[in-house]
Amino acid sequence: MSRRDRRLKEEIESHLRMAIRDRMERGESAAEAEANARREFGNQVLVEEVTRQMWSWIWLEQLWRDVCYGLRGMRRNPGFTAVAILALALGIGANSAIFTAVNAILLRPLGYRDPERLVTILNHGTGPVAPANFVDWKAQSRSFDNMGAAEAWTPDLTGSDRPEKLWALRVSADILPLLGVPPALGRFFTPGEDQPGSQFEVVLGYSLWQRQFGGDSHVLGRRIQLDNQTYTVIGVMPRGFRFAPFWATRAELWAPLALGPRASQRGNSLRLFARLRPGITLEQARAEFSSIKAALERQYPGTNQDQRIVPLKERVVGEIRPALLTLLCAVGFVLLIACANVAHMLLARSATRSHEVAVRAALGAGRGQLLRQFLAESLTLAMLGGAVGLLLAYWGVRAMVRFGPPGIPRLETLSLDWRVAGWTLAVSLVTGILFGLAPALRASGLNSAESLKKGGRASSGTGRQRVRGLLVVSEFALSLMLLIGAGLMLRSFVALQAIDPGFRPDHLLTMILSVGGSPDAGLERAPEFYQGALARVRAIPGVTSAGMTNHLPIAGDFWGLPFWIEGRPLPHPGEAADAGFRLALPGYLETMQIPIVRGRSIDAGDTADSPGVVVINQYMAQTYWPGGNAIGKRLTLDDPSSSRKPAWLTVVGIAKNDVRDDWAAPPAEEIFLPYLQHTDAMGHYITLVVRTKGDPAFLAPVIERSIWRIDRNVTISEVQTMNSVIEGANAEARFNMALLAVFATVATVLSAVGIFGVMSYAATRRRREIGIRLALGARPTEVLQLITREGMVLALCGTAAGIAGALALTRLMAKLLYGVEPVDPLTFIAVPLLLTTVALAACLVPAFRAARTSPVTALRQE
Amino acid sequence: MPRKQPVYRNRVELLQGTLDLLILQTLQWGPRHGYGISQAIRAGSGDVLRADTGSLYPALHRLERAKWIAAEWKQSENQQRVKVYRLTAAGKKQLLSERSRWEQMVNAIGGILRHEPS
Repeated sequence: MSRRDRRLKEEIESHLRMAIRDRMERGESAAEAEANARREFGNQVLVEEVTRQMWSWIWLEQLWRDVCYGLRGMRRNPGFTAVAILALALGIGANSAIFTAVNAILLRPLGYRDPERLVTILNHGTGPVAPANFVDWKAQSRSFDNMGAAEAWTPDLTGSDRPEKLWALRVSADILPLLGVPPALGRFFTPGEDQPGSQFEVVLGYSLWQRQFGGDSHVLGRRIQLDNQTYTVIGVMPRGFRFAPFWATRAELWAPLALGPRASQRGNSLRLFARLRPGITLEQARAEFSSIKAALERQYPGTNQDQRIVPLKERVVGEIRPALLTLLCAVGFVLLIACANVAHMLLARSATRSHEVAVRAALGAGRGQLLRQFLAESLTLAMLGGAVGLLLAYWGVRAMVRFGPPGIPRLETLSLDWRVAGWTLAVSLVTGILFGLAPALRASGLNSAESLKKGGRASSGTGRQRVRGLLVVSEFALSLMLLIGAGLMLRSFVALQAIDPGFRPDHLLTMILSVGGSPDAGLERAPEFYQGALARVRAIPGVTSAGMTNHLPIAGDFWGLPFWIEGRPLPHPGEAADAGFRLALPGYLETMQIPIVRGRSIDAGDTADSPGVVVINQYMAQTYWPGGNAIGKRLTLDDPSSSRKPAWLTVVGIAKNDVRDDWAAPPAEEIFLPYLQHTDAMGHYITLVVRTKGDPAFLAPVIERSIWRIDRNVTISEVQTMNSVIEGANAEARFNMALLAVFATVATVLSAVGIFGVMSYAATRRRREIGIRLALGARPTEVLQLITREGMVLALCGTAAGIAGALALTRLMAKLLYGVEPVDPLTFIAVPLLLTTVALAACLVPAFRAARTSPVTALRQE
Repeated sequence: MPRKQPVYRNRVELLQGTLDLLILQTLQWGPRHGYGISQAIRAGSGDVLRADTGSLYPALHRLERAKWIAAEWKQSENQQRVKVYRLTAAGKKQLLSERSRWEQMVNAIGGILRHEPS
């Protein structure tokens, strides 16, 4: 019992004592007096309780009373309530869903210690750098606590029941400690272990540990076979640990990167990660880095080009940010439109409630109390809308995770958390105030005497009408901006779909064959195995043709090499042009149906013993031999300034430009080399491409079986049709377009409902006037025009404002667009036309109804 | 959802506007304890109005919270501790405005009662 409680008891007991004393003075006996006083006092406990409630909960209780009152009102108007809650739920739900994505992808920190101190060093800010650079920078820079390198690795895990190709990383010993996430079991590599000869240790990812080792806690010390070599398990990472965050994100096994003699190599293969030393800013690190690079450049010309330090988070989310911010903007608009709609409805209702307000005011409710009550009602509406919205968001988020494009970082981590709940609550509160304030101010400011006199007839101040007009105009402006955004996305999606990939993607099946785990088909014997497999696959009924390449366009990795043309002046060191190269077995170009425009393709005669040949693409032929005489010319991939006897390759054919690794990228230099002349350039895997007569997916199991019949230890992965590869490449654009289209549709429907409601209301309000006009001989068409004109003026004002807004805003979308300008004339004409048509339709219904008014009933009603 | 409210609460609601006014008015003539206030209202209204304790004490505590009245513990004539309320400066202002509101309302309701609606 608190001090206050004791005091209250004492106060009440003193009351009773005084009452008893008074009664006894009036002559009652002691027993009588006490009984009567207590009876008169009533239930002591209850009095204490209601008094106690006054101490702290007074405002809450009033709020509760207002909320109850509001709820009662809602129950009386179920239609109104349902529409309002639905509109708000759509707006709030869309916001919460997109905010969930923003939260998970942009806001939540990466799952490392002090992630904002982590940076990555990449060529042009995106690509790998050379091992030699890594070694030099690591030795010379003072800005970092630590620096480590990582390289993608796809070993074959064999010797278990289920051999599989794994996604893995080779990392220098510094990297895992640098991230600050301790292993769940075991330890990391020690610095000595990333030296050649002692690199046969691995740390497992949680999912791999569960899948292949059943989560066995005695896994430490186990020996496993990767690419036919024995590795020892020394650690297991905790659940949810992911590295690297922006590339090779599927990695679930980490092994030491033993650079050894490779440390002097110049070929770009490593991505670097570092942690800024405490007290060092990114700018300081960058300044130091450029001076180190400048010094190295003097020492080794042409080796230190455009490598940049990028904050890790920036690299992970930088590309997705514009899309997410656009979507966040879009859902903000949808919510504003929903608010405007509900505000309409409340305004319309407040007109009919003016009598109620007047009575309450007359009975002593102050303006503040009325305002509070109205706001409590709109907040109650908003909270209900928010609750339903959260439910919608939950489904929306599940759909996003399910149907979201594969390239979005951290998409799988999407979930509703306290931040999303907080955001929804905040959005609901703001929404409630936003749409409730205008009606509440208006309603509470009514002159009570005037309203009472009017006896509950809807009052129709011009001010109210102006507010409603403004709401309609802004709704239309917002919808228009959304629709234009969606239109631009649609246009760029169509442009993306229209890109000619340079090959025929239908009826193509692709898969990666990996021989790393096979004792028989090992690296030296790989060429025989590949040729044998090709022969087998070609013999399968239903297969039209088959070929092999190192990397598939779009789906696979993409490797580039500098090249030098015979007889041309040598470029400065490090400035030779790069060409993307594909190693091809005979039949690859034919299977892909990449047309040869001149000369010949790579054929079975191009073997290790025959003269070196190369097929170049049209872009390269036109760029370097504009005269059109590329065939027969020679180029080399060995630097002529350092190599005494460069291997010259004769251009034997020119192929049509095909899409390289990025679907929408403009064409660039690409060369096709006969695999048999460059077997050493290939890893232990190759991509098989098969053109089929029927559905390519049906043949997949047959092809797999025929390959396993040659060698059961070959792993097959990434079995997919070329069409699905392309779909995946455009998934993000499609996803953005679909989301924007959904939001724009919701927005348009909401604003159509809005203008419909306003015009219906205006028409009803003017019934009397219309009745008089009709009685005085106006024709129904004139009435039709009258009402429609009023609505269309609002719609056109909104459209004009929307076009202005869109001109300003679509610029921000430029990064999301392909093949269409942010100010696209077609979109900017078609969308306003569409929206105006919708507005016209929404106005015509109430206008027709008004025109059919019978003057007699209209006049009698008033 | 509206829930069934205890009997006392309903009476609080009914009397709330006027009970505050009556309490403030009673305290205008000097500090009093709760029992004294209830007796004064009863006597002052010729035994017509009774400030129910279930309304009176919540009202006193609410007014105290609103700083319109202030409370003190004092020794009564027969050496007992009693809680005594007095009007504050803010309370005096509030009393004036409540009085004028009350008069307005009496006039408004009187006006409605005198005229039949057309």
